[in-house]
Order: sequence, then C-alpha cells, then structure tokens
Amino acid sequence: MIKRIVLLVMVLTLSTSCVVVKEYEKVNLNDPDMVLADKKVDRNISTAHSYREAASGANGGKTGGGCGCN
Amino acid sequence: MKYISFIVLSVLSIQLAIGQAPDSTQVYKKRVLESTEIEFLSSYYNQDGDNAAVSGGIGSEELTDVTATFIVSIPLNDDDVLTIDAGISAYTSASSSNVDPFDGSNPADPFVASSGASQSDLWSNLTGSYSHSSDDRNDIWSAKLSVSAEYDYFSVGVGGSYTKLFNEKNTEISINGNIYLDTWNALYPTELRPFEVGGNGLNSNLFTQNTITGNTNYNPNFTAFDNEGRNTYALGFGFSQILSKNLQGSLALDLVKQDGLLSTPFQRVYFSDIADSFIDNFQLADDIERLPDTRSKIAVGGRLNYYINETFVVRTFYRYYTDDWGIKSHTASVEVPIKITDKFTLYPSYRFYNQTAADYFDVYEGHLSTNEFYTSDYDLSKYSANQFSFGASYTDIFTKFHIWNLGLKSIDLKYTQYDRNNTLSANIITAGFKFVLD
Repeated sequence: MIKRIVLLVMVLTLSTSCVVVKEYEKVNLNDPDMVLADKKVDRNISTAHSYREAASGANGGKTGGGCGCN
Repeated sequence: MKYISFIVLSVLSIQLAIGQAPDSTQVYKKRVLESTEIEFLSSYYNQDGDNAAVSGGIGSEELTDVTATFIVSIPLNDDDVLTIDAGISAYTSASSSNVDPFDGSNPADPFVASSGASQSDLWSNLTGSYSHSSDDRNDIWSAKLSVSAEYDYFSVGVGGSYTKLFNEKNTEISINGNIYLDTWNALYPTELRPFEVGGNGLNSNLFTQNTITGNTNYNPNFTAFDNEGRNTYALGFGFSQILSKNLQGSLALDLVKQDGLLSTPFQRVYFSDIADSFIDNFQLADDIERLPDTRSKIAVGGRLNYYINETFVVRTFYRYYTDDWGIKSHTASVEVPIKITDKFTLYPSYRFYNQTAADYFDVYEGHLSTNEFYTSDYDLSKYSANQFSFGASYTDIFTKFHIWNLGLKSIDLKYTQYDRNNTLSANIITAGFKFVLD
C-alpha cells in the first residue's frame, strides 16, 4: 500500500513539470464544485462520520478534540 | 512511521526544488476576502440501532441531535482574515440516558431510553482562526484556537498550517499541525459507582430500593480511572495538483497520536465467565470498557475532480486508514454535481465505508474477565456502510435578496441516508445559508 501511495505521489509530482495551466485557462477549474475539499454544508455529516466510524482524517475533517461518545 | 514521514518530506522537498522558479502571474494584489461573510449551518441528525455500547453491545442506539453554527469571516486588511466559528449541538440519546437506566418512571430496559435527567446534553464550541497571505498569494499561514465543552468533556485545541503555491499556482503543498488537550469528567454506570473505593456496595440506595435478580451476589471488581486527560497530536501533509484544464487532484496524509483516557467511562462490558445480575430488565455491568492508553493512526486520502462540461462535474474521494488497535478501513465516495441553471445545482452522491474490528472488540458476553482490554462498542466492530445523499444549492453571485444589509449569496440543503450492515441506521438533514455584508 505504501509503495502504491509513494508511486502515486511521484506520478503527480512529475506531472507538474508536464502541465502548466495558465490563470486565464482556469475558468473550469475555478468552478465552485471543483474545489478539492468538502462543502461547508457537509461538515456536520463529516463530523457524524468521525463519531460513528473508527477511521478519521485525510479528508479535512476532525482529527481530534471532542468526545463523540454518544 | 518514520519511513512514511521521510518519504513524504523527501517528495515535498523535491517538489519545492522543482517549483522554485519565479511566479510571473502576479499582476495586482487582490483582497483575499472582499467583504465580511456570515454563514449559518444547521443540521438534524437521527439514528437508531440495536447494539448500544452503553449497555454492553445490546440495546437501543437511538440518538437525536440538532446543531446550529455561525461562521463569520472578517477581512482585517488585504492579506489577513479572522474567522470566528461558534456552534452548539443539543442531543438526546439512549446511550446517555442509560448511564443511569434506573432514574426513569418505567422499568429499566436496554432497548428503552430512560426518561431521567441524564437523557440530554448540550455541546458547545468556539473556534477562532487567523490567516495571512503573502502579497503574491503563494504563501498562506494560519493559526487557530478552539474550545469545546459538554457536561462530561472539555477540549482545548491549538493548531497552525502553512500552504505554499507554485508552478503558476498549479501546485500546492501544505503542512498542518493540531494539538487537542481534552479532559473527561468521568461518569460511570450508576450501578458501578457504589463499588468505587469507599463506596457502600450493595448497601447503597440503588440496591436497597431495587431488587436484584439472577446472580443476587452482585460484586463487580470495579476501579475508576486515575487519569482523565486525553491528548491528541495531529500532523497533516497536503499536496494538490492541476492536471489539465478540466482535471485536478489532491493527496493528504494525516498522522495522529493519542494518549490518555481513550476508553469511554460509561460504556458497559459483560463477561461470559461471570454470572449475570439484573434490576428490572437491565443487566448490571461487570465492568466498563477498558482500552489501551495510546493509539496511533495513519490516514491517506486522495481526491480527483473532473469538469465534464457546463452541466456535470465529477468529484471523487478515496481514503485508506489504519491504526495500531488493529483497525483498517477503506472509504470511497463519488458526487456528481448537476447544474440545472446558473443558480441551481443538484448534488447526488454515494459513499461506501468499511472497517475491520479493533483487536479489543467482542460482542455482548464475548469477553472474559481475565482479558486486559475489552469493549463492546460497535463503532469499533467490523462492518460496512452505504450512504446516499441528495442535495440542492441555490447561488446568487449578485446577492440580490437582502436581510438588512446582508446579501444572500447561497443556500444549500442536503438529505443523507446512512446504513450500516450491523443494524445502525441514520439520516441527517443539513442546511447552509451564506450571506455577504454590503
């Protein structure tokens, strides 16, 4: 698994030298739905996941703090 | 752990070296945030299931929670933004009510929430964060301070992050760290409290006013926790990359270390090698959940978003998680925003989640009293879950609709159905309103 992740990081890293999208070409990338994060309205759903599921992190959500034990 | 950190830091260092060419995109300095924004978020959450941890893996998991949150973002100048995030959450739950199942008017039963005073609680949170962006907007620093409290729990958190953009803002790397210092006000199952050091045991009011059935010589070997602190240290790395005019992705790595009281003090455990005692229909605890006082977690996640055309976007997410309690987990989700008009967008989505069980989990009456660690909390069991959501969004970039001098920028509504394969089912309705101060 770790090898695959490292490989993916390296592929993405190398790709940066291949593609440069200019500011004036980013109209589609600047669409609000293209943001690389959860929307604010999803925050309470993400919090519920962090309480009910053992896994957390790597999604911009809670990684600690608070009980969530009910 | 060291190996992963070394790899990630090496890759990020290489990336930094590649991307150190001067950024020629700076033309003028645009304000990071044009004007004050106020967001109101609210949600209604409801769940039920048959495997309550408070009653040792059997019993009602019914819980209702209503939240309200205000987020105010204030531009202090061209570069700096102060954000205040204040929220409350009011809940009623079978798990909190059955800490004391004998304080209601009906016979105690693990499948019925007690109607006593312990059934509800209030959680409140206040977070302040401050961010500063460099003149060319390629460097962003932020710091935050948070406080949250509920009846039996208090948490203080501090954190900070640094984000670097380069390669004409095609590439972004970030690092963030957070520390949470939490304190329990430990509440134990009511029938165990008389057996703490100095307690009256079977001479306490609970046992003189109620009749024990089954094993009438109820005598749990119970000791309270010495340490009621819980500390969490989180370190996160982020990397995002534009891959084409319509495609971008990101990777995130979170490393989390926890120590202190990681057990939940009111969650009961029943041992198979100890005779069962009851009051009414409620089985008296043999002990409470006992878990190790350290836990290390690693989560690796990736997002890939593709702009198909003016109507459709595809948003995907995957995460792998593992920890030293024996849990491994996969999470995958896909969302396809559909733009109906320039103001309305629909958000259908699906999410899959699974996890293996913690080494210390076993079902009701599955543990032995000779075990060192044990829990019957089904949140730590093996299961998979499916989630379907449907949302709708209204956006008006011109903020024509006003309340006083607040212009309405967007409204978001979402309904989510979440089903585990171990009886727990939940639904949540969320709403968000965003205003801009004129």
